[in-house]
Amino acid sequence: MTASAIFQHTELTRQRALDDLHILDTAPEERFDRITRLVKELFHVQIAIISLIDHDRQWNKSSAGIEPDQPLEYPRSSAFCDSTIDACGTLIVPDARLDPRFRDNIYVTGEPGIRFYAGHVLEAQGGERIGALCVFDTVPREFSALEQNLLRDLAFWVQNELNASQELDQAAAVQHGLLPKKLVSLPGFEVAGACSPSRAVGGDFYDWYPVGEGAAFTLADVMGKGVGAAIIAATVRAVLRAGSRLDGVAEVARIAAATLDPDLDEAGSFVTLFHARLDMDTGVVSYVDAGHGLTLVVHADGTTERLTSLRLPLGAGDDSPWQEQTVVLAPGSTLVSVSDGVLDLFDGTLASLDAVDRLVRGAPTAQNAVDSLMLRAGLSAPDDVTVIVIRRAGER
Amino acid sequence: MQFTVTDQGDGIAVVHIMGRLNMVTAPRLREVVAASVAAGQNRVAVDLSDVDFIDSSGLGALIGGLKVTRQAGGDLRIAAPNEQVRLVLQLTNMERVLTAYPAASSAFHG
Repeated sequence: MTASAIFQHTELTRQRALDDLHILDTAPEERFDRITRLVKELFHVQIAIISLIDHDRQWNKSSAGIEPDQPLEYPRSSAFCDSTIDACGTLIVPDARLDPRFRDNIYVTGEPGIRFYAGHVLEAQGGERIGALCVFDTVPREFSALEQNLLRDLAFWVQNELNASQELDQAAAVQHGLLPKKLVSLPGFEVAGACSPSRAVGGDFYDWYPVGEGAAFTLADVMGKGVGAAIIAATVRAVLRAGSRLDGVAEVARIAAATLDPDLDEAGSFVTLFHARLDMDTGVVSYVDAGHGLTLVVHADGTTERLTSLRLPLGAGDDSPWQEQTVVLAPGSTLVSVSDGVLDLFDGTLASLDAVDRLVRGAPTAQNAVDSLMLRAGLSAPDDVTVIVIRRAGER
Repeated sequence: MQFTVTDQGDGIAVVHIMGRLNMVTAPRLREVVAASVAAGQNRVAVDLSDVDFIDSSGLGALIGGLKVTRQAGGDLRIAAPNEQVRLVLQLTNMERVLTAYPAASSAFHG
């Protein structure tokens, strides 16, 4: 490759890495603003900036010492930070008027009359140089080795913040991928589910997969929110799935609980669980409920049954034997299981289950019932919100 | 959120909590209970009369406290939970092991 081709290739990779962060033209964020404020005070400079080099412009994600009415973007051709990303590391300009690279720069000859600049490069996860953490002043000054080290450390902090949100996005995609897709085949039944974490990832999940002449269903809620809860949720899902060949839900849950117990103890966590198997020929649902307690069977005859929960949550020290319970899903009946976040969508009390009952009865399809609940969750959900609905078709 | 720990003598500590017992404050309750047990007070009464909200992390801290005290030969008891706390205990079946007493001072006496 020619030098120009290498440059274009690097620039393309660099631009793509920056685009993948989805940070350009986003609103100010305190996690960055607190860093620029700190940097400005620490180095006693007029201006501190987190800048990103995007195509032909420099865009400032955060700045301290610049009036809020000033523009956030500047032409790349005049940007000091563009030289920093070329410099690879720290660029220091003690007096721009004496530096042949910058003495004709419009920000040196004109407003604000920059004399001093120091910037450290910001890299994306693959090492692509996407911007700089930099300081400016209108008086010349030296920048000691100690100060250079500090600036580098602070730039690492900015980098971590930039990349952390991307890691979380990736984690959210992985967690979403662990949710079940459409059932292969369950004639006579409709199945729908949804899970909406209050953060990028969460401790709620639902699952289903074919087992024997039917399917297994899970709705579980791990204590807490966020990444910690999500890691445990993935483990619970895997342990339950591993039990799909076992004979009966009580045995599946017993082994899962025993497997998970030491981990839950270590994490100081617990899990509420509803786990069921549906026999599609008879409509019999066999289930276990460990401290979940939020499952209804909306019968075709107009009555509604709330399934009883016999046990404490997993991880709460319950060593009593697991007992399987059963309920029959007659034609036209619907089973709906929700996480406790659903209660917050109504009045927060158990009366919310009456609202869920009405919603399910009024919904033409299982998917429609799920969609209605998630629509509410989208408007206001302080907690993770998860629901599964299994509807047996009515007799013709 | 405030925690006040009162030594009731006889190996009993009363932990009074004010505010919300949630993801933010639950770790503090775990610490307080662990410290009480380490100091020989393995019977801990948690006064919830001024707790207006509990989330799953708060419940986790109560469960953790129950385990820690029982492993030390003691117990953790709760007093005066409000409706929201009662609902969480009831839904999870934890009311079976975390019986609510009317007052913290009498949770271990009377």
